[in-house]
Amino acid sequence: MLDETLTALADPTRRAILARLAQGEARVTELAQPFEISLNSVSKHIRMLERAKLVRRRVAGREHFLSFDPQPLAAAEAWIAGQKALWAWRLDQLDAVLKETP
Amino acid sequence: MTVSLKVTRRYAHPPETVFDAWLTPGIAAKFLFATPTGTMVKAEIDPRVGGAFLFVDRRDGQDVEHVGAFLEIDRPRRLVFSFGVPAFSAEMTTVALDIAPTADGCELTLTHEGVLEDWAEKTKGGWTMILDALDAAL
Repeated sequence: MLDETLTALADPTRRAILARLAQGEARVTELAQPFEISLNSVSKHIRMLERAKLVRRRVAGREHFLSFDPQPLAAAEAWIAGQKALWAWRLDQLDAVLKETP
Repeated sequence: MTVSLKVTRRYAHPPETVFDAWLTPGIAAKFLFATPTGTMVKAEIDPRVGGAFLFVDRRDGQDVEHVGAFLEIDRPRRLVFSFGVPAFSAEMTTVALDIAPTADGCELTLTHEGVLEDWAEKTKGGWTMILDALDAAL
C-alpha cells in the first residue's frame, strides 16, 4: 500500500490534482482544465490515484465526481515519522560518542 | 512470501489499563520489545496518529532498534501501528491490537500482517513473550 501511495505522489500532475481535490469535489473535466495535457492523460493520472485509494469516484447519472481521501497518507507519514525518530536517536548517539572522544 | 500472525491473551484488567500501557513509555519499556538480558536504553512514544515510537534494547553491547508509528488510535478498543526492526529488515509491517472487554477484564488480539514466512514462528514467540510481560508490567 505504501508503494502505491508513494508512486501516486511521485508526479507533479497527480499532486496538483490532489491539491485541487483538497478544496472539494470536482468533475473530471474541471480537473483536466488547468493542465496542458489531454483529457485522456489526465484520466490515466486519476486512475492511478484511484488505485492508490487517494481519490474516490461518485457517479450521479452521467456525471462522475471525484474527491480526495487522505487516509492512505497516514502510512506514508508513519514511515517518514519512524525514519525521523530513528535518525534523531542515532545522531544523539553519535553526539554522545563524540563528546566522550577527546 | 509473507503471512499474518494472530496472538490472543486475556488480562484481569480493564481495557483502558491494557490499552494505555502501550502508549505510556514508563510501562511500555518494561514489556514492549524488552528482553530478559537486554537493557532498554530508549523508549520514546509520540501517541498520536502519524506519531512515531522508538524502543532501543541494548543486547550484548548491540543496540536493537524497534521503530514504527501509529496508524489508528481508538482508545480503548483498537490500536494500529507500523513496525520494523532495521537490524533485521528494511520493510515495515503492520500490527493491530483489538481489545474487547470480558467479565473480569479484557481480551487482547494482536494481528501482525506482512511477516516473512521464515520469521513467523520466531515473531509469534516474541509477541507471546511480550503479551505475557505486559501482564507482569501492569
